[in-house]
Amino acid sequence: MITASTLLNSETIAEHEQSPQEIRVRVLRQDAPGEESYWQQFAIPYEPNMNVISVLQRIAAISKAQDGRKVAPVAWDCACLEEICGSCAMLINGRVRMACSSLVDNLFKETPGEIELRPLTKFPVVRDLSVDRERIFHSLQRVKAWVPVDDSYDHGPGPRISPEEQEDAYPLTTCISCGCCMEACPQFNKIEVVQREEESDEELESRKQSAYDQQFLGPHAISQAVRFNSHPTGSMNADERMQSLTGQGGIQMCGNAQNCVAVCPKSIPLTRSIARAGRAATVWAIKKFFDR
Amino acid sequence: MATTSIPEDSFLGRHQFLLYRLFSLAGFIPVGAFLIVHLLTNASVLGGAAAFQSRVDLIHSLGPLLPAVEWIFIFIPMLFHAVMGFVIIATGVPNIGSYSYQGNVRYTLQRATGMIAFAFILWHITQLHWMGAPVGGGQFDPHHAASSAAVALKPVAITLLYATGIIATVYHFANGLWSMGITWGIWTSPAAMQRANWLSLFVGIGLGAAGLGALGGMRSIDVEKAKEIETRMYKARQMLDGGISAEAQQHSAHAVSLSRESSSVMPAGSTSSANKEKRSKKKD
Repeated sequence: MITASTLLNSETIAEHEQSPQEIRVRVLRQDAPGEESYWQQFAIPYEPNMNVISVLQRIAAISKAQDGRKVAPVAWDCACLEEICGSCAMLINGRVRMACSSLVDNLFKETPGEIELRPLTKFPVVRDLSVDRERIFHSLQRVKAWVPVDDSYDHGPGPRISPEEQEDAYPLTTCISCGCCMEACPQFNKIEVVQREEESDEELESRKQSAYDQQFLGPHAISQAVRFNSHPTGSMNADERMQSLTGQGGIQMCGNAQNCVAVCPKSIPLTRSIARAGRAATVWAIKKFFDR
Repeated sequence: MATTSIPEDSFLGRHQFLLYRLFSLAGFIPVGAFLIVHLLTNASVLGGAAAFQSRVDLIHSLGPLLPAVEWIFIFIPMLFHAVMGFVIIATGVPNIGSYSYQGNVRYTLQRATGMIAFAFILWHITQLHWMGAPVGGGQFDPHHAASSAAVALKPVAITLLYATGIIATVYHFANGLWSMGITWGIWTSPAAMQRANWLSLFVGIGLGAAGLGALGGMRSIDVEKAKEIETRMYKARQMLDGGISAEAQQHSAHAVSLSRESSSVMPAGSTSSANKEKRSKKKD
């Protein structure tokens, strides 16, 4: 039997689902590197067309937890707000994505009225949602993800690249070094090198670099190695890149879970790159064995 | 939460790529190749006890070479694959809770089935291979192949364990085949990986059918009848062996006495346990 009150109730629920009055945000906070993390709840008024960055901006403006306590604003990284700088990757509702392109209205389809924010788990936390992303770029250094033409000589016009080659390489050039692929990869593990007592900053730095050097490169760096090895000028350093790809923490660490390609915000064909790198590594290793 | 880092100058560090590729190769050749031969050989039991026995006899015709072949082409590569597999499992942190994509589920299953297969194969060898005899196993008698296997596999619990082990092992091989194609760069585009998926599915279903068919075949064997057939085949082989050796070394009294001795080992209607005690401490 449907009574007036139940009817009224279901109507208000339906109305509430359509446009919630407030957004409840759960943030996993951490005050400084190495400290304990803790959950904090925030409630901010709902506005249409918000993204996670604008949610964080509202939280910073209020700087008050849900229970009314005055708290320090939540720290996070962002710059471009158009999914091109790669700095705002975080765990949103448990999954890695870019805060700028994560729209609240879409997130409410997963968890109506609620959003959960956590820092990336594979990188050392600097503060709250801000992490130390150095390793992303360290990996790019390991595979020399560039074309070395930085000098004052006139090298003449570059080699021609066919439209087919351009089309093939273009998706790989759209990588924004956000770290999503590394975060979702079950083979990519966190490295947090903590300063020891009486250890100088230089010693800490060299220990960190060597720790980074030994562990998995990550899908993005493999893809960039493939991209520069397929470039006519870049391929002049192909051997060095192959050395890194087949060195410790190289391509062999890939376990073919293929999460990287599934979470990549730029839809880069990372598994194609990994397979191509695998093929190149097969050929290169055999050649190296018989040529030495 | 720093992960275990391997020193750069360690053996594992310097040869990581080579070791991982050898691991991948070993899973296909010889371990995977052996799995195919093993399951298809076993499936021949569906053609009756005699069909299976003649295949087992073919394998055991290697005689004293068999253990060497087993260790070089099966056990050592399998151990290497298993040890490396555990190293690889230790370096990964599965996350299907957060990312339940098909590829990730398969990645996690690959590791789970690898461990199940390892435990299963260890137990399987102990239970049936002659090496397991000292610990109460070694139930397989190569001269009474189908009947001894049927007796060993009859209990329902054992059958269920075997079914689990076979499915896990076959999944591990079929999915590993797909994964290996990416590792070595055989299929590189997403479309090619999709086609390779069909290949691995086909291989998996085929081998799974062979493995489970063999299990069902062994269970449905009429043990007494099979024993009769096997004993007849065994005697025929004995006579042939004796005949040949007598013919080849007609003037050697020693050879004749040997052949007599070996036929005296086999009195008419002898049981499989009697054979096992004497000269059949070998395995399929």
